Amino acid sequence: MTTIDYTQEPAITIGVVTSAEIDAAISAPLDRFPSRRWWIAFGIALMILSMGLASVTAILFKGLGLMGFNQPVAWAFDITNFVFWVGIGHAGTLISAILFLMRQRWRNAIARFAEAMTIFAVICAGMFVSVAHLGRVWLAGYLLPYPNQHGLWINFISPLVWDVFAVSTYFTVSLVFWYLGLVPDFATLRDRTRNKHKKLAYSILSLGWRFSNRHWSHYERMYLILAGFATPLVLSVHTIVSFDFAVSVLPGWHSTIFPPYFVAGAVFSGFAMVQNVLIGVRKFFKLEKIITLKHLENMNKVMLATGMMVGYAYAVEFFMAWYSGSQFERFVFLNRALGPYAWAYWIMVSCNVLFVQLFWFKKIRTSIPAMFAIGVLVNVGMWFERYVIIVTSLSRDFLPSSWGHFSPTIFDFGVLALGFGLFFTLVLLFVRFLPSVAIAELKGVMENAQPHYHE
Amino acid sequence: MAEESKYWKSLHRLYSQGAGGDAKADEFLPGVPDEFKSDSLSGMSRKQFLALLAASAAFTTAGCRSYRDKGEIVPYTKKPEEVTPGVPNYYASTCTGCSQSCGILIKTREGRPVKVDGNPDHPINRGKICAKGQASILNLYDPSRLRRPQYGGSQIQVELSWDKADAEIVKQLSDAAANGKEIALITHGIHSPTTKNTLEDFKKTYHTAKLYSYELFNDENRRRAWEACYGTREFPAIDWKKAKYILAIEADILGTEGMVLEQIREYADNRDILKTAEFSRLYCIESTMSLTGANADYRLRLRADAYLEFALALKNELEPGMTDGAVGHIAEFAVKYSLSADVLERLVHDLKIHKGASLVYAGDLLPEEVHAAVNEVNELLGARVLYKNQPAEEIVRLTPASEIENLTARMKAGKVGVVIHFDSNPAYHFPKSLEYEKALHAVPFSIGLTEAENETSAHCTISLPVNHDFESWGDFKIRTGILSLQQPVIEPLYDSRQKESILLVWAGGRYSEHIYHEYLKNRWKTEVYPAAKTKIDFQTFWYSSLHDGAIEFAEPVQMLPAFGRQAVKPVPSEIDAYTIVLTESYYIGDGRFAGNGWLQELPHPISKIVWDNYAAVSTRTARELGLQNNDLITIGLAGASAMMPVFVQPGQADGTISIALGYGRTNAGPVGSNAGFDAKLYPQALLSGTRVFSGAKISKISGSYELASTQEHHALDDEFLRDIQFKRNIIREGTLEEYSRNPNFLREGEKELTNIAKEFEYSGVKWAMSIDLNKCVGCNACVAGCNVENNIPVVGKEQAAKGREMQWIRIDRYYSGTDEAPLLSHQPMLCQHCDNAPCENVCPVSATNHSPDGLNQMVYNRCVGTKYCSNNCPYKVRRFNFFNWRDNFANGFYEQESAVLAENPEVTVRSRGVMEKCTFCVQRIMEARQYAAEQGRELHGSDVKTACQEACPATAIIFGDMHDPNSEVSKMRTHGLGYHVLEETNVRPNITYIAKLRNISA
Repeated sequence: MTTIDYTQEPAITIGVVTSAEIDAAISAPLDRFPSRRWWIAFGIALMILSMGLASVTAILFKGLGLMGFNQPVAWAFDITNFVFWVGIGHAGTLISAILFLMRQRWRNAIARFAEAMTIFAVICAGMFVSVAHLGRVWLAGYLLPYPNQHGLWINFISPLVWDVFAVSTYFTVSLVFWYLGLVPDFATLRDRTRNKHKKLAYSILSLGWRFSNRHWSHYERMYLILAGFATPLVLSVHTIVSFDFAVSVLPGWHSTIFPPYFVAGAVFSGFAMVQNVLIGVRKFFKLEKIITLKHLENMNKVMLATGMMVGYAYAVEFFMAWYSGSQFERFVFLNRALGPYAWAYWIMVSCNVLFVQLFWFKKIRTSIPAMFAIGVLVNVGMWFERYVIIVTSLSRDFLPSSWGHFSPTIFDFGVLALGFGLFFTLVLLFVRFLPSVAIAELKGVMENAQPHYHE
Repeated sequence: MAEESKYWKSLHRLYSQGAGGDAKADEFLPGVPDEFKSDSLSGMSRKQFLALLAASAAFTTAGCRSYRDKGEIVPYTKKPEEVTPGVPNYYASTCTGCSQSCGILIKTREGRPVKVDGNPDHPINRGKICAKGQASILNLYDPSRLRRPQYGGSQIQVELSWDKADAEIVKQLSDAAANGKEIALITHGIHSPTTKNTLEDFKKTYHTAKLYSYELFNDENRRRAWEACYGTREFPAIDWKKAKYILAIEADILGTEGMVLEQIREYADNRDILKTAEFSRLYCIESTMSLTGANADYRLRLRADAYLEFALALKNELEPGMTDGAVGHIAEFAVKYSLSADVLERLVHDLKIHKGASLVYAGDLLPEEVHAAVNEVNELLGARVLYKNQPAEEIVRLTPASEIENLTARMKAGKVGVVIHFDSNPAYHFPKSLEYEKALHAVPFSIGLTEAENETSAHCTISLPVNHDFESWGDFKIRTGILSLQQPVIEPLYDSRQKESILLVWAGGRYSEHIYHEYLKNRWKTEVYPAAKTKIDFQTFWYSSLHDGAIEFAEPVQMLPAFGRQAVKPVPSEIDAYTIVLTESYYIGDGRFAGNGWLQELPHPISKIVWDNYAAVSTRTARELGLQNNDLITIGLAGASAMMPVFVQPGQADGTISIALGYGRTNAGPVGSNAGFDAKLYPQALLSGTRVFSGAKISKISGSYELASTQEHHALDDEFLRDIQFKRNIIREGTLEEYSRNPNFLREGEKELTNIAKEFEYSGVKWAMSIDLNKCVGCNACVAGCNVENNIPVVGKEQAAKGREMQWIRIDRYYSGTDEAPLLSHQPMLCQHCDNAPCENVCPVSATNHSPDGLNQMVYNRCVGTKYCSNNCPYKVRRFNFFNWRDNFANGFYEQESAVLAENPEVTVRSRGVMEKCTFCVQRIMEARQYAAEQGRELHGSDVKTACQEACPATAIIFGDMHDPNSEVSKMRTHGLGYHVLEETNVRPNITYIAKLRNISA
């Protein structure tokens, strides 16, 4: 029988890796001219982004009518994409803050990347509400409370105002948290580089970091505090986003289960996205030793858990619709499963609840092609979850006379492309210019990082 | 600081230099200057500062290059009498949108007409006007109007002056008259005695002139039947108020036929829940699902060619001794056409036992024989007592179809020298078999008098622009003893002339603006004034008539002669073939309103389809022919054929295909051209009034055509959606019997909803509305009224198909029952101004909020367009500006100079990206409040009438103060039949619906 030594943390990296090797492996993509593969990927991302930009430019000039909205479906792709991307962000904060507080140090290898994705996802989300959602973007400033001689004030009981605060707080905290974590790495890069311009840039960004003990102790303290700040945000942001729906009177939206259901869904989709992107990154940048299969498997386990929470929520919604005795609620849910948007509903259920069950099998959980496919399906499913919630509820609400069918136009898909284009463009720039794994943190969990009492 | 001042500002200041002055001087307390150090100031001198200021000001102004020069703005040096900026004037006039010639009241602001309402002093329409009349204001400002005389149509346009045009035309006319060539004067129906005189004067000058008068929808069949039965073509008006048991046979008396506004008013009077004892019962037997059928207590569907048989069977039933052998009794008829024997039995019973209060009314589109048979039935029912002693006037008899055929033949043969189209459009209206265009090309000289280019004027040698109604003088007479006047309310917008004055000039007059005005006044002086037998002098009589818009005077009327029996032989109908019924379109008339975007966008009252007509077929016929909605078919009839999209209409008679005429115009400006399909298969008989044709061939063709509808269509047999309007308590109805047994049957077992939040205490006036579903017939007049009042943009078919129509009020239509015998319920739906409005709390910028008098307000300036309010509105009555609609529709057609004049200056024109909705006509409330304040009195609920309320011909809409216990609206709110839609959401709407009572027996 083997005994487990709890005084030693298990190493996260595979094989004997020295600090220098880590430095080299992580900063390698930053030091060399980008490979052809990077250029191809970047080109595709940029193309998708420009398609999106062309769409929103047209929308900005002509009006929201270019998209498929109508009466009664006055929200569709705009809010679907917004909620989707805000949700994607959640995995990052969960990994970087909550797992940090829980001393899950395996997260060190993926935290940086996940957190960067958070920031990019929130940028995407913010983009949707501004360019493809507001009728008069140029007056978006009205959503902020600012003193004015008219005595005009925002409506504090509107969930959209809470959204503005929640998302902007989330973005600010995430950005600061992320940047703070980057400071020691900037210092490492500053010390490694021979390029004059890079040196200048890294010097500025590293804020004079000298790896001194004092710096480290301040840093650790601050990092902990910020992790503490960010942790409630994981729960609060999507809770507030879910209030956009839960606070309304619309059957299908008006539901108290939304906050936990949305948070679980957000973490679910976020992990799927992180897993998908990391699979690519570890392959292209040869980081298999650092971002190990263990990491991927852990993420798959989280997906399995959150996927079941989401499935539970789907079931409870149906139960509540029946149990409420409200005919409007009952109708909405029957209509979801059997009505004109049944196809979307069943895509959602199969992707989010059924396929993810395959992760019960270790073989599938640790097979890269299988997990990648399931991750993609989860993202599709989670996008459709928001689409189903928004569109089916709106298209057939209280008065049958005002029912209407939503069908997206090419501009809706353009706006959808904008999200993915922007996200992947930012991700690709990130892996080119910044260390995608936290060098300093990783060193803390490598083999030989711990004191060697026994040898 | 307290230095003695040399200057003083007031005597007070001078003499009270003591305490008061010191206090002022101490304004800046000591201590402040101590901290002031001159060396801490910037080194800039005063001069430098001023130079900098001047330079920056210069740069700023230089940057503002694109300031739009709006021209000189000059105030009145001498204010015109009666014009006070901001205060509207109202003028009485007459609408000529159709042949009903209703009295209207035109609201003008600073000399420009902005709104049309019914003239309350007009004895027939009494203050109400239909959708067409309301929207006609858009025709006045239509940018596609012809602006000056021109040669040629759309292809070659050479402008010319009126003098030149007149000279050339007079020469042509004289030549034609001299050469003995005919001068054909083609007009619509003439309802003006003075216009008739003008035409006669013209004929006197040119002896070869001949008048042809036609109307696509006419009452010739009825008139001929009356002539045959009674010896007079002038049938009497009916007292619908006294008619308690009405059977309408293919007659849309609540929609398009007869004096609709009067009929709706009097029908609705018999549907007053405060007087349930007077409830009438309406039976309807028809092939097309019409508004009348939708409102009928009992409706039967019957193929359109079986009405003669039906009328004769009914006659046999009522007059047992005289059975016509060829046709059996009602029971046999019911079997033959599989109609409900119960309903027919009840009908016969009702008619029989309520003699003197029962009436059968046949539709204009049915052949003469049906009318004759119906006249006989009415005689048997003693319906004579329901006839008013006011015959329908016939100023100019319509030209028989045979003569029109003759005309085209003569035109083709070159026997016609000049054709004058007197504001008529035969190239579109005449049956295609007459080949009118071809005939027109054979005429050497043709003239089109028209407001805007049309199919006919495009082929004329010269097109002359004529005045719109609102720029014209005129008088109209549709009933004996009633004359209404038309007066201009604005100078002609373009270089156009009144069509009568043009003829007067050609007949030798000298043109002046007042030529027809004088002519009209003259006739009134010599003919009307003596007949009116009034004691006042003519000038006063004239002005008071103009002021009132209509006069009533005692005119000798002959008693209705005795009935002369006509032997009517039934024609056995071929039940296997398909029958076509050509109906009048609800809102664009015979096509003359095709260019009116507001009317094109008014949903069909039954199918809710906009911008198109279609071939309505029954479910069974659709199954037989393998058709679905939006399929295309060709309909062949009498050698002609037409392509049509299909719409499966519940309640449509099997084997009958109904098509609305007036669509498919090819030359009606950017708005009306190619909207819908032209039913190019009018056989000649159409011009004699009949619009039912048997023996049509239907074949399905490939392809489909999307019909845009403002309401989704759900199959009636879908169990999931069946009767959902009742299950959800959106529509609540009962029967008269139920109500008389228990007036509170509707609200039995209901509980008061509680509210956990503290409610706002309203004091003073609180606005509320009630809508009586017993009275509402679903005619859409309110929608049109709202459109005009509130500057509702036209979005076009494509956008309407997407569900983006902008109307603030809509009429919801719900079906129940079966496809064969559907029951319809109409419900006007508009912002409910909920006390707990769900839209308000979700708006992040408080752009929508509540006023202390109970209005749910919308602040456009503040709106950023999140659309959340619309999502959270349970009634989905909010409308979003997805585009700048005026710019988006037809390349900015309604953004052009003249069209923008139609906007109501009291209402903001909403920009792109803004949410909008019904405001309860807040501009009218504010105006009333202002007047009340001016007069130093309290504002009363009755001071305000909303536009929809004003428009409703059935007075179903009541608006007022719910806090005033005596107001009509508060009586309705507390009535046992009053309910709110979606009460259980506890949004507390301020609109009360009065549940419909059907007068049916269980």
